Amino acid sequence: MRPYELSLAEAAQEVRARRLSPVELVDSVLERIDRVEPHLHAYVEVTAERARHDARRAEGAVDGPLRGIPMALKDLIDVAGVATTASSRVRADHRAEADSAVAARLAAAGAALVGKTHTHEFAYGLITPQTGNAWDRGRVAGGSSGGSAVAVAAGAATFALGTDTGGSIRVPAALNGVVGLKPTYDLVPRRGVTSLSWSLDHVGPITRTVEDAGLVLAALVAPGRAQSFADYPRDGDLRGLRVGVPVNYYFDHVDPEVEAAVRAAVARLEELGARLIEVEIPMTRYIQATHWGLMVPEATAYHERTLRSVPELYADDVRVLLEAGALLSAGDYLRAQRARTLMRRAWLDVLDGVDAIAAPTVPLTAVEVGRDSVTWPDGAVETVSDAYVRLSAPANIAGVPSLTVPVGQDRAGLPIGMQLMGRPLGEAVLLRLGHAYERTGAAPRLAPVA
Amino acid sequence: MSSPELTPPEVARWATRAGLPLPHDRLATVADVANHVHSVVSVLRELDFGDTPPSAVYRAEEDFDAAV
Repeated sequence: MRPYELSLAEAAQEVRARRLSPVELVDSVLERIDRVEPHLHAYVEVTAERARHDARRAEGAVDGPLRGIPMALKDLIDVAGVATTASSRVRADHRAEADSAVAARLAAAGAALVGKTHTHEFAYGLITPQTGNAWDRGRVAGGSSGGSAVAVAAGAATFALGTDTGGSIRVPAALNGVVGLKPTYDLVPRRGVTSLSWSLDHVGPITRTVEDAGLVLAALVAPGRAQSFADYPRDGDLRGLRVGVPVNYYFDHVDPEVEAAVRAAVARLEELGARLIEVEIPMTRYIQATHWGLMVPEATAYHERTLRSVPELYADDVRVLLEAGALLSAGDYLRAQRARTLMRRAWLDVLDGVDAIAAPTVPLTAVEVGRDSVTWPDGAVETVSDAYVRLSAPANIAGVPSLTVPVGQDRAGLPIGMQLMGRPLGEAVLLRLGHAYERTGAAPRLAPVA
Repeated sequence: MSSPELTPPEVARWATRAGLPLPHDRLATVADVANHVHSVVSVLRELDFGDTPPSAVYRAEEDFDAAV
C-alpha cells in the first residue's frame, strides 16, 4: 500500500514505528495531488513547500497520532501568511495574519498542511462548482466543503477540515464516500474561521474512517475533552445502546436505493447488539423556516460592507441571497431564534429516549453537474440544494453532533451516507456506533480517480 | 398565512432603508428571491411562542449531560 492510501490511524502507526517518515508520507500525498488535481480541482492552493517544512519539523517532534499527517483545510480557515480566499473574488488580495484556533491546534499536533480546499463561495451553497465529484467527474462534489471531501476521497489529503452550517461537512462527505463529523455546537472553536451564519456554523473533520474522525476531533477540542474521542469502546459490541429510527421526515422523499442502503446499515447496527426504537421527529414543518430565518440574515450581516462596496465580485447565486437577506425583518429573525429554542428542547426530549438517531445523510446521491431540481414520485419538485440540506439542517438547528458514514453505493457506483445524530457532547457514542458498523464491512478504498 | 409580495419598486425602497441601495437591474431578481425567502420563513408565524426566549446564546452543556 502506498503512503497516500493509508488512513490516518494506519499512517500514524507507520510513522510511530519508524517504517515511514513524515517527509515520505507528505511527498506521497503531494505526488498524488499532482496526479489527481488536474481532474478534480479540489484545491484553491497547494502548499507543497510548507507541507515539506511541516513534515521535516515533525520528524523530531513529540509523538502523537497527527505527527506529520498531511491535511487540507477548507479555504475559510485562516492559516497565518496564507490567503483565505473563501473561493471568492472578494478575497482576491487576502492574507491571514494569524492562525485560526483549529489551524493552531492541528499545527501543535504536528499535522502538515498540504493545501487549502475549495468551498462553495463563502460556504453559501451545496454544490462547490469548481470541484468534481471524486467518483464521477460529471457529478457534483457537494458542498460547501466539496474540496475537502473530494481531496480525502481521492487520497489527495489524509484528512481535511470542513465547516457545516446546514450540512456542509456531511453532504459532500456522503456524496464522495467518506466520513464527516459535525460536532456539537461550540465544541470546536470557530475563531479565525470565516462565518456563514454564526449561530449555525460548526468546524469538523472529514476523514476516510470513523477512527480517524475521532483522532482529529481529539486534536481540535480543549485538552480536557479530548480523551473520550480517542478512547471510546471499539470492540464492535453495541449491546446497551438504543438507536432511534425516524418514522417521519427522514425517509420521506428519499431515493429508494438510498433508503435501502441506510435501512440495511441500521439492521447491521441491530445485529451488533443495538436496540432499535422508533422515534418521531418533532416540528418538521418548521425546519426549513427556522434554518433560513437564522442563516439568511446572519449571512447578510457578515457581508454587509463588501456587499455595498464590491457586490459585482460575488457569484450571482450568492450575491442575490445576500441582497435578499437585507429585506428580512428583525421580527422574522427573532421568530427563528425562538423556534430554535422550541426545536432544540423537542430534540433533546427525543434524545432522552435513545442514544442516537440513524437516518440518511442526503436523500439522493451526487447529481449530474448542472441539474437544478429533483422531481419525487408524488410529483413534488425540490431544488437540489434544498434536497441536500433537508436532512442535515436539523442537527445544525439543534446543535447536536452528527456523523456521516459511507454505507454503500447506488447502481451508478455513487456513494451513499448514513448519519448518526446524538446528544450534545455525545460524539463518543456516534464514533462507537460508526466504528462498529465500519469494521463489519470492507476496508474503505480510494475513489478511482487516476 | 400569506402576505403581499414585494414589488421591485418596493424592494428598492426597503433595500435603501436597510442600508443597501440596489441598482435598478437588480430589483426584479432580488424581489423574486426575497419573496421566496419570506414565503418559507413566514410559516413560523403559526407558532405560539408564549414566553419562549430567543436562542441567540446558549451553552451546549446546560440542557443535557452527555453520556458515553
